[in-house]
Amino acid sequence: MWDSAEGFFGSYYIYWISVFLFIGYGASLLTLYLSGILLARRSIKRTKQRSIFLRAEDIVSATDIPSVTIIAPAYNEGLTIVENVKSLLSIQYPYYELILVNDGSKDESLQLLIEEFDLEQQDATFITQPIPTASVKHIYRSKKKKYTHLTVIDKNNGGKADAINAGVNFATTELVIFTDVDCIIEQDAILKMVRPYLEEDDKEIIGCGGGIGIANDSVIKNGILTELKLPSRLIPMTQVVEYIRAFLLGRMAWSEINGLMLISGAFGMYPRKRVIEVGGFNPKTVGEDLELCIRLRKHMEEQNIPYKVVYLPETLCWTEGPSDHKILIMQRDRWARGLWETISLHRDLLFNRKYRQMGLLYYPYWLLFEFGAPIVEFLGVICIIAFGIFGWINWPFAILLFFAAYLLGCVFSTIAIFMYVKSFDHYTKPKQIVELLLAAYLEPFYYHPILLFGQIKGYYKKLFDITSGWGNMTRKGFKVSKSKESKA
Amino acid sequence: MNEASILLFIAIVFSVLVIYWISIAVSLVYRSNRTARLNKIELTFADVVSRYLYNDPANPITLREINTTLKNVGIKPENKNNIQFLIRLMIRTQRTILGSHFYKLQQLYTQIPPYGVSIKKISSWSWYRKARGIREIYEMNQSQYFDEIFKYRNDKNIYVRREAQIALVVFLGWESLRFLPYLKRNMTLWQQIKIVEKLYDLYPKPELKWLHRAYKTEKLFGKKLIMRIIRKYLLHGEIGYIIDNLNHEDYEVRETAIYCIQTFAVPSATMAYIKELYDDIPNATQQGQLLNYIFENSDIDLDFYMKQLYGKNEDLKLSVAEILWNNGHKEKVQEFYYQQYPKSVLNVG
Repeated sequence: MWDSAEGFFGSYYIYWISVFLFIGYGASLLTLYLSGILLARRSIKRTKQRSIFLRAEDIVSATDIPSVTIIAPAYNEGLTIVENVKSLLSIQYPYYELILVNDGSKDESLQLLIEEFDLEQQDATFITQPIPTASVKHIYRSKKKKYTHLTVIDKNNGGKADAINAGVNFATTELVIFTDVDCIIEQDAILKMVRPYLEEDDKEIIGCGGGIGIANDSVIKNGILTELKLPSRLIPMTQVVEYIRAFLLGRMAWSEINGLMLISGAFGMYPRKRVIEVGGFNPKTVGEDLELCIRLRKHMEEQNIPYKVVYLPETLCWTEGPSDHKILIMQRDRWARGLWETISLHRDLLFNRKYRQMGLLYYPYWLLFEFGAPIVEFLGVICIIAFGIFGWINWPFAILLFFAAYLLGCVFSTIAIFMYVKSFDHYTKPKQIVELLLAAYLEPFYYHPILLFGQIKGYYKKLFDITSGWGNMTRKGFKVSKSKESKA
Repeated sequence: MNEASILLFIAIVFSVLVIYWISIAVSLVYRSNRTARLNKIELTFADVVSRYLYNDPANPITLREINTTLKNVGIKPENKNNIQFLIRLMIRTQRTILGSHFYKLQQLYTQIPPYGVSIKKISSWSWYRKARGIREIYEMNQSQYFDEIFKYRNDKNIYVRREAQIALVVFLGWESLRFLPYLKRNMTLWQQIKIVEKLYDLYPKPELKWLHRAYKTEKLFGKKLIMRIIRKYLLHGEIGYIIDNLNHEDYEVRETAIYCIQTFAVPSATMAYIKELYDDIPNATQQGQLLNYIFENSDIDLDFYMKQLYGKNEDLKLSVAEILWNNGHKEKVQEFYYQQYPKSVLNVG
C-alpha cells in the first residue's frame, strides 16, 4: 500500500489518523491537567486546614512521636561533605538520627568526616543485613556529645540504591527519610513530614513526600538556607517553574486521589518496616525512587492492607538544579532510562484488576502520558516536517493551533505560580514573579526542546542497549555565607 | 473547527491568562497589606496585655480603653479574619503565662471581644469550623460549653471527634477515662499523644480508680492510650497492664507495649515472665526490640540467650551472638558458628 516514505506520509488516511491521534492525546492531557488543578487546589486547602490542628510546635514538645532516621548516601562529595553533614545535623526534631553512607568514595570524604566530627570506629561484626548490600567496611560514631546522633557507614561501592539500603539495614527507627547529602532541608521539615503518620487512621501511610525547590544562587549560612534567590541563569530559573508545577499541581492532585506512584528520591519518608519487607531499593535501575514507590504499593495491594501515599505542598527540601543544558540533558536522560526500566519491570500492572486503580488508571497514565509524552512529541515533530514537505498542512490554521496550545501551557504555568504565591511566601517580590512568569513563557522555545532531547536520548540508549549509569552531575555549589564565629 | 473558532478560543484562553495576572498582583498587594495589619494587631494586643497584667497605678488601663484600642486596629465583629487572628493570639499568650497572671488574663478574656465566637462555630456545617470552635473553647477553658462539646465525642469527622475528646480530658481530667470503653471510632496516634500531654499538663496527680475503669476497654486504641498514660506518669504499679500486652495479637498494640515497657526497670521475677512471653511474639523485629530491653535491664541469662542463639531467625541469632560475644561468652558463639560451618575459616572477631 505504501511503497515509499512519500507514499506513507502523503496518504490521506495516515494524515487524518495522525491528526486525530495527536489532537485526542492533547485533549486528554488537557483534561487531566484541568482536573489536576481542581484536585490540587482541594488538596492544598485540606492540607492547610488539617495543619491547624497539628502544629509543628505541638509536635516538638510531645514525647511519644515516632523516631526518624535520615539516610544520605555520598559518593566523592569531599568538597562539600562537611558543610552538608552539618546542615543535615541541624534539623529540628527531638528523636532523629543521621546515617551518612560513604559509598566507597575515592576522594578524602571519609577522612574529612573523621577529622571534623571526631569519629571513632565501632565494631561492625554483628551487623544484621535484612537487605543484601555491598559489604560494609566500618561503622563510625562521633566521640563528641553534640554529634551523638550521627553515624557514618563506610562501605564498598554499590551505587546510590545499594548505599541507601545499607542505611536502612543499620537504622533502628520506625521511619526513615531518604535524601541526597547535598540537599538543604528546612529546619522543621521532619516535624511536618511526620504529621501524616501521626494522623494515620484506617489507611497506613507507606510514603510521604515533600515539595522540592531549586535554590541555585541562594545563600546558605551554617547549613541553613538564609536567603532564597531566583537563579540568575535561565535553565535553573525555568526549573523553578517546572518544580512548582510538578509538585504543587501534579503531585498534590495525585495525592488527593491516592494515586501517587512517585516520591522523589531527593526527599521522601517511609516506614522502615515496609521498606525492608519489599527488599529496599532496587540497585539495578536508575529510577530507584519511582520503582520503590510502585513496589511498595504493589506489596500493599497484594497483602490487601489499606494504604496511602501522601505529599505535602510545602517546599521542605532545596536542591541545586542543573545549571546548563549539558547537565540538564544528562539528568533527563537518566530519568528517562529510570522510567523505561520501571515501566518495563512492572508491566504486569497494566489493566490488571488485581491492583485496582493502580492497574486500571495510575499505571496506564504513567505509561501513556509520562513515558509516552516524549515519544508522542518526537513523532509529532517528524509528522509536522513530513506533512509540511508533502503540503498537507494548512499553515495559517496550524500556527493558530500552536499559539492556542502555547497559551494553554502559559495558563497552566501561571496558575501554578499563582497558587504558589498565594500559599507560600518564598517569592514575594513583584520582580521575582515577573521573572518566573517570563521563564515559564519562554520554556517551550528554549527549555522544553532540551528536555525532549534528553528524554529521547535516554530512550534511545535503552532501545539499543547502550550501557550508561548515573553519570556525573557536576554541581556549582550553593553560595555559602560563613558566620562570624566560623570566620574567626 | 475553523480559524474563527480557534481565534475565539485563543481570546478566551488569553482572558483567563489576564485574570490570573491580575489575581497574582492582587494576591501580592493583599499579602503585603495583611501582614502589616496583623503585625499591628499583634503589637497592640501585646501592649494591652502587658499594661493590663503589669498595671501602672499612675497610668491605669481601663476595660473601655482596651476595647477601643482593639476596635481601632480592626477587631470588629464584621472583620472575621481579624477576630480569628486575635483568638490565636489570645490562646498563644495564655499558653505562655502561668500563676496569678494566668487567672488575671482569663478574667480579661471574659471582658473583651470576641464574644461567643467559638460556640457559634460549633453549630457550623463545616467540620473545619466546628473543630476549630471546640479547640478554641477548651484552649480558652470555657467550661460552660462542655455539654455542647460532649455530644461530638463520637463524631464521624476525625478532627471534630478528636478535638471533642481532648476537650473531655481538659474539662474532666482523669474522670474522662471512664468514657474510653464507650468510644466507637478509632483514635489516631496524635490523638493519643495529645490526650496524654493535656492530661499530664493539667492533671499531674494520677487518679488510678479512673484508670482501672478504663482497663475494661477492648478497643485497641484504648489499650494503646492506657499504656502511654502509664508510661508518661511512670506508674510502676501498673506495668502489669503493659506486660500483658507484650504478646497481644495486634502488631501495633505489641509495638506500643514494647515501646512503653522500655521506660521501666522490672524485678527479676517479672523479667523472667517477660522472657517467657518473648517466644510468643510473632514478629522478629519486635522480638529484637524486646531482646534489647531484656539485655539492658537484666543480667546475662545464659540459658535464655543460648535458646535464642539456636532459634530460627538469622537476624535475632546475630543480635544474640553479639550480646554473648561482648559479655564474656565468646566460646559459645564460636562453638555455634563452628557447628554451622565446620569446614570454613571463622571470620568473627
